[in-house]
Amino acid sequence: MTVNILGIETSCDETAAAVVQNGRHILSNIVNSQIDIHRPFGGVVPEVASRKHVENIGLVVEKAIAESGLAYADLDAVAVTNRPGLIGALLVGLSFAKAFAYGINKPLITVNHLNGHIYANLLEHPHLEFPAICLVVSGGHTSLLLMQSESDYQLVGATLDDAAGEAFDKVARFLGLGYPGGPAIQKTAESGQAGHYNLPRVFLNRPELEFSFSGLKTAVMNEWRKAQQRGEANVEDMAAEFQAALIEILVGKTMQAAEQYQARSIIMAGGVAANGPLRELMTRRGQEMGLPVYYPSLSLCTDNAVMIAAAAYPKFVQGRFAPLHVNAQASL
Amino acid sequence: MYILAIDSATPVAGVALLRDESLIVETFANIGLTHSETLMPMVDRVLKDAGLPVGQLHAIAVTIGPGSFTGLRIGLAAAKGLALAADKPLIGISTLEALAHNLSYSSLLVGTILDARKGEVYGACFDASQAYPRRLGEEMACSPEDFCREVDHWLDETGRSGLVLLGDGFITYRQKFTDYWGDKLQLMPPHQQLPRAASLGSLARLKALQNDYSDRLLLKPAYIRLSEAQNRLGVGEL
Ligand SMILES: [Zn+2]
Repeated sequence: MTVNILGIETSCDETAAAVVQNGRHILSNIVNSQIDIHRPFGGVVPEVASRKHVENIGLVVEKAIAESGLAYADLDAVAVTNRPGLIGALLVGLSFAKAFAYGINKPLITVNHLNGHIYANLLEHPHLEFPAICLVVSGGHTSLLLMQSESDYQLVGATLDDAAGEAFDKVARFLGLGYPGGPAIQKTAESGQAGHYNLPRVFLNRPELEFSFSGLKTAVMNEWRKAQQRGEANVEDMAAEFQAALIEILVGKTMQAAEQYQARSIIMAGGVAANGPLRELMTRRGQEMGLPVYYPSLSLCTDNAVMIAAAAYPKFVQGRFAPLHVNAQASL
Repeated sequence: MYILAIDSATPVAGVALLRDESLIVETFANIGLTHSETLMPMVDRVLKDAGLPVGQLHAIAVTIGPGSFTGLRIGLAAAKGLALAADKPLIGISTLEALAHNLSYSSLLVGTILDARKGEVYGACFDASQAYPRRLGEEMACSPEDFCREVDHWLDETGRSGLVLLGDGFITYRQKFTDYWGDKLQLMPPHQQLPRAASLGSLARLKALQNDYSDRLLLKPAYIRLSEAQNRLGVGEL
């Protein structure tokens, strides 16, 4: 049997729709990014994101279906992210998806965004070794999940304040490097060297699986001002040191979780998982521990609807559909 | 000609089904539940009660603002989803205009006002002497005092001796307005006071008769206000 699922994703600043067959085969993948719109603000503005979503949602969905080559009647279900994320943004996708599913008389499936990121990996690496530790790291999330199987996962660690991607954005804005901060800092750091400044590896020596990035951001500002007073402020070196500190924290905590839960593999997901040095360090430390490290190709790292449609497939098979009164929620 | 009307612009959620000049089913809820939970179940109930499949609709109507930013988006996203899925035209209508249609063929000046929070109202004045209300001046976001002056201007301009104010902005600032106009201000009963999907549907029918449809892919809410962040930065379009 062929199952075609339309996926819709609007949890942050990408309006996305995709059609995926049997949870594996990508028929279309449309992502409308709002990066340029949020650039003047130096970060995602929830109200502005929601406004763009409602303008674009129809176009994006229509394009995704057109590119899939399917007729509306060929769709078997509509899947949509309903948590976690920016509540106003989620509500646009959810409201549209409910009505669209109702209009084509097909079931609605709600998907947890983090589950979607996990499925971005499963799409490309179908034979992951469980249990696995999954680091979901983006502008909205920094979470460690313990996965016992494809569908059984629990949150074992998260950030207490800013998400890692948010820290990238804030530090990039402070250093005048532009938006989005992750790629801007990675690029600047290439011509600099870590170690010229002294930033803390926050929480790295603590047993708890928790992250905190707001202190790291404050440390950047303090070190930068001191360096400016000494006349030694070098933006490349600061970018390199900040990126090194952040990556060491992410990798260190992931390895700590892998050890604690005797994981057999490590998975990375989310926009920050596109960071080259993070991928390198995670892979190297994984090798040292004898653990394979998986991450999706760049296009499936950042938010997309392919991963939502893929994550909905097992729910479709199990008949786990959502009622018309289902709501969105900001938290996990 | 069946028209399905969907309104979630204010704390009221409403859905109505009209067949030509008749109202077939209407639901109205002003009970403080989130529109995300109530709106689509209401659509389902209205169509089921009427025994009408979505495919039989002629068009879908929705209020596009002003109103609560989130409420407007829930309504418009749902209307777009339905219109696209069922391949039906979409008709977007101003919340203030739909509200003014609660009262037709009236010689009173009709002011429609919504509570815009932060001490302001969204409002506009209408000539409701014909079936389709004719807006006088602009839709605005302003203080209740500024709105009083706007109304005075149109009372003068049109030579009307009395007025009526509809919408939850009237309910919030009732005392202020009754003190200001005294006997000139006529009070309306509850069934005319708040947005009604039936009114929206009725206006949408008039538009459909003129083939006056919105772009179902590109239609966006009329917020009147910028977001806080756009205000601070002084950038952006509405
Ligand atoms: Zn994400």
